[in-house]
Amino acid sequence: MGCSSSLPDRASGRLSGLNSENGSVNDAKNLRVKLVLLGDSGVGKSCIVLRFVRGQFDPTSKVTIGASFLSQTIALQDSTTVKFEIWDTAGQERYAALAPLYYRGAAVAVVVYDITSPESFQKAQYWVKELQKHGSPDMVMALVGNKADLQENREVTVQDGIDYAEKNGMFFIETSAKTADNINQLFEEIAKRLPRPTPS
Amino acid sequence: METTPPSSPSSLASPSSMEFYDFLDRMRNPASLDLVRSIKSFIVSFSFYPANPENDGKKVQDFFMTMEGALRDHPLWAGASDKEIDCAMEGLEKYVMTKLFSRTFACSPEDSNVDREIAEKISLLQTFLRPEHLDIPAILRNEASWLLAEKELLKMNSFKAPREKLLCIMNCCRVINNLLLNASISENHVLAGADDFLPVLIYVTIKANPPQLHSNLKFIQLYRRQAKLISEAAYYLTNLISAKSFIADLNARSLSINEIEFEENMQAARGANKLAHDEPDPAVEEIAARRRQGNPGPSFTMSDKERIMKGRSTYPFMEAKADELTVGDVERLLSIYKDVVNKYTHLSEAFRQLSLSKPEFHHLEGTGGLFAQPPQISIRKDKESVEGRGE
Repeated sequence: MGCSSSLPDRASGRLSGLNSENGSVNDAKNLRVKLVLLGDSGVGKSCIVLRFVRGQFDPTSKVTIGASFLSQTIALQDSTTVKFEIWDTAGQERYAALAPLYYRGAAVAVVVYDITSPESFQKAQYWVKELQKHGSPDMVMALVGNKADLQENREVTVQDGIDYAEKNGMFFIETSAKTADNINQLFEEIAKRLPRPTPS
Repeated sequence: METTPPSSPSSLASPSSMEFYDFLDRMRNPASLDLVRSIKSFIVSFSFYPANPENDGKKVQDFFMTMEGALRDHPLWAGASDKEIDCAMEGLEKYVMTKLFSRTFACSPEDSNVDREIAEKISLLQTFLRPEHLDIPAILRNEASWLLAEKELLKMNSFKAPREKLLCIMNCCRVINNLLLNASISENHVLAGADDFLPVLIYVTIKANPPQLHSNLKFIQLYRRQAKLISEAAYYLTNLISAKSFIADLNARSLSINEIEFEENMQAARGANKLAHDEPDPAVEEIAARRRQGNPGPSFTMSDKERIMKGRSTYPFMEAKADELTVGDVERLLSIYKDVVNKYTHLSEAFRQLSLSKPEFHHLEGTGGLFAQPPQISIRKDKESVEGRGE
C-alpha cells in the first residue's frame, strides 16, 4: 500500500463531508460507533485493526488509514451498516493513567492480550477491571487473545480466556492478525451485540 | 524519505476563508437582517455577564444549534444542501468566536496559571529530554518530520477560530502519522499504532512548547461546534490533551531515566532559567557550574537560535496580517508591546550587570548575543513575519 493512498483527505473535504449527518449520527440503519482498543504494547492491537481495515475489499468504501486512528464500515445481513471508528491507545505502562481520556464515550472496548504472554493477560484483566469501574455501563466489551498462530508458544490456555470473559460478561475470541483468522468475525460479532437505537 | 506535509497554511486557509467571505456576503443581504440581529444581540449579551468558561461554552453551543435551525428555515438558504448549511455554520462559528475571542480565550486566571506552569515545565524538560527517555525507536527519530510537526503545532496560537486551531493539531498529527507510515513501508518497522504515535506527539509537543497550550485545548473543546468534535478530529484532540496531561504530571518515573539524574537535570534547568530571568544567585551559579563540569557536552537539545525563534510565538500577533486586526485587538497589542519592552529593558539591564560582575558566564554567550545585538534580532523577526506572510 503506497503512502499517498494512506494520506487522509484534505481538511476541508473531510471535516465538512464527514458529518453531514448533523450531530446525532445514529439512525436505526446506519450506526457510527466509537471503539477503543486497550492492551499491553506489543500484543498486536494495531495489527488486528490494520488486518480488519485492509482486508475489506470494497473499493468504494472510504477507508481512513492513519497509524493510530482508523475507521471501517461493515454491512450486516439485515442491511444495517456499522461504521467503526477505532481509537488505538498507547499500551506502555507510563501512559496507563491517560486511558480514561480515550475510553470516555466509547460504545465498544476491545481488550487485547497475547496468548504467548501471561503478563499481557494480567494486563488485560487490569483493563477489564478499570473499564468496569470507570467505563460506561452499557459498553460492549470484547476480550481478544491475539497471536493464535503461535500455538507452540502458547502460555494462556483458551479455557482461561473463556472463563475470564464469561465471568465478566464479555465476548471472547482468539485471533491471528498474521493469518487473518477470526479478525472479521471479531468485528461482526461486536456489531451484532451493539444496542440498536430505538426508533422514536 | 517523502514526508508529505499535509497542508500548507494557505491551502488550509483558502477554503475556510471562502466559506467565511461567502457567509459575510450573505449576511450583507437585506434578507438576512433578522439573522444579523440575532448574531449581534448574542455577541452583545456576552458583555452583560462576567466570563465563566463552562457557561459560556454552553451558551455558544446552544446558540450554534439555534442558528443552524434558523438557517435551515431561512429563505436565503431555501433548498440548501447539508453541506451548504455546514459551510455557513463554519462561517458563523468563525465570526462569533473571533468577536468573542478576548472574552472567551484564556479568560480565567487559573487557565493562565496552568498555561504558565506547563510552559515552564516544558522549558525545563527541553534542556535535557531526549527521544530515548520516551523509548522512541531510532527509526522514528526524524528531525525534519518533527520540525514540520512542531511548526504546525506552533501555529495554533495565532488563529482565533476554534476550527482553525483544531486544524493545526490535525496537521501536526498527520505529519507524525506519515512519519510512522513511511517508517513501516520503507524501513519495515512494524506499524505499532498509538504505541509509537503518542510518544512522538509528546516529544514534539515538548520541543515545540506551544504557547498557551492548555487554554488553546480548552477553547477548542468548549467552542468548536460539538457536531464537529467527533471521529478523527476528536481522536487527535484527545491525543494532544493526553500529551499535555502526561507532561503536566511528568516525573522521573514517567521516563526511562534515573531518578537522581532527572532531579539533577531539572534543578540545573531551573538554575539556568533563573539566571536568565533574575538577579544572579550564588547557589544557582554553583549548580550551573557543577552541571557544566559534570556534563560539558551538548546538554541542551535545542540551540539558542531555535529558542529565540520559538520565543516569538508567545506573541500571538506575530503571524497576523494588518487587515485581520480589529479595534478590539488594540488593548492586547498594547499590553504585549509593554510586556516586550519591559522584558527587553530588564533583561538587557540584568545582562549588563551580569557581564560586568561575572565575566566567567561563558555559557550564556548565546543569550548574550540576544541582549548585546538587539538590531539583529529585530531584523530576524521582520524577516520571519515577511516569510510568514509569503506562505
